Amino acid sequence: MSSRTEAAVSSPAVQRTKIKTSPKRKRGGAWLGLILPVLLLVLWETASRAGWVAPYLLPSPTAVVEEMTGMAQDGELWGHISITLYRVSAGFLAGLSAAVVLGAATGYSRLARQLLDPMLQALRAIPSLAWVPLFVLWIGIGEASKITLVAVGVFFPVYLNLTSGIQGVDRKLIEVGRIYQFTSLQQIKKIILPAALPSFIVGLRSGLSLGWMFVVAAELLGASQGLGYLMVYGQNTSAPAIVIGSILLFAVFGKLTDEVLKRIQTRALKWQDNLENA
Amino acid sequence: MLAVNQVSRTFQSGTTGFENIDLQVKRGEVVGVLGTSGCGKSTLLRVLSGLDPEYEGSIRTKSENHANAFGMMFQEPRLMPWLDVLDNVTFGFSKPSKKEAALELIETVGLKGFEHHYPKDLSGGMAQRAAIARSLLSRPDILLLDEPFSALDAFTKMQLQDLLLSIWEQHHTTTLLVTHDIDEALYLCDRIVIMRGQPGRIESELFIQRPKPRKRGDAVLGELKEQILRELDFTKR
Repeated sequence: MSSRTEAAVSSPAVQRTKIKTSPKRKRGGAWLGLILPVLLLVLWETASRAGWVAPYLLPSPTAVVEEMTGMAQDGELWGHISITLYRVSAGFLAGLSAAVVLGAATGYSRLARQLLDPMLQALRAIPSLAWVPLFVLWIGIGEASKITLVAVGVFFPVYLNLTSGIQGVDRKLIEVGRIYQFTSLQQIKKIILPAALPSFIVGLRSGLSLGWMFVVAAELLGASQGLGYLMVYGQNTSAPAIVIGSILLFAVFGKLTDEVLKRIQTRALKWQDNLENA
Repeated sequence: MLAVNQVSRTFQSGTTGFENIDLQVKRGEVVGVLGTSGCGKSTLLRVLSGLDPEYEGSIRTKSENHANAFGMMFQEPRLMPWLDVLDNVTFGFSKPSKKEAALELIETVGLKGFEHHYPKDLSGGMAQRAAIARSLLSRPDILLLDEPFSALDAFTKMQLQDLLLSIWEQHHTTTLLVTHDIDEALYLCDRIVIMRGQPGRIESELFIQRPKPRKRGDAVLGELKEQILRELDFTKR
């Protein structure tokens, strides 16, 4: 037995301490991101108060907030916000479902890829706003056409990331599944989906941001309610405070929804070997 | 335990793969397959493990379901990066039924305390230990090892070779070890099969009667090494 260099690995204590310190450092970093926006706000407020810019072009932040809180107290604002949120989420879900079905099919099956992918890539080349007249003609000016437009925007990034994620799954891992005699379904569930998850979530996030972009477009082009409509209304009544307020609300909601996905991303992908988890 | 009769696997180019391989492995035997690069020794393991079904000839095992007879370990650990060590070891099985066996194996391979670490937090040697545990969990009749330690540094390699020895002492697993490391084959195997040529054939067989564990600097093993090097001599056709 003397020649053996027997097998014990050092205790994991070192790594534990490393894991404990890192979230603290990350949370500390969040405050850094606030410095610039706060500085800009202060500069903007002083510029307005000092009369460096005309208030009919750029009202002060406090004026914007007053305008919006006024509308919120009337109850008018909530209607606009909720209808926009509804359009984004309905469109997001619709686009997401279609993208998951088609993306999984083209990613996994060569036949489906050869059959569907060229057409979908060609459709992707059409600037999405070009669909608007057609959707309005086909499904009218109501909710359905707006939701469809958002869905189209969400569809492509999710679809592309999912197929490329599935096709990028390491053949070596698939072989492990074959050693275990996995059926196709088991391969998909136990290896392909988890391995494609990082790419899929990236697709979700860019899909969502496109969804917000497209809801603005849909509401600018023809709506009687919603944050996008509010911007047109502000423009027509020469009320820059309303326009800026709507832009800020878009920023807030876009950021909030993205943050939700980002949280999901960090939680679901803490196994990834990258800078974020280092 | 394993009977391979006249098995061939040639690719369209005709230059790779192997042909007319005859190989019998007894229960508990550790057989090393040594060969020059491109002689089809890894392809042989892929055929045996069922990863490559396009072969000619017959492969027989004691087990009813041929494919379940084999456990396989690759050159790389091939752990699922989204599963922690315990889940990787129980991969392919329902976890509750195998958890105890898995924890025991994790302890055997020296990874106790690392059950809930992800592969990214493991060193190369530790990941390969986890892969050993995974390949043993199904209690395969025959363990196939495809150059399992060739990507590791010399010290880790020696540690893991000793780990394999102690596992064999406990479980008496029948093993087929493909390697290009002559010292490794001499240190671990009861018998060494030497493959040569393109497509590869079995050139010769060598029984090593030294009791295990062997000394790494053993003079008899040194002579055998000389002999193997002569066999593998590239000038001979």
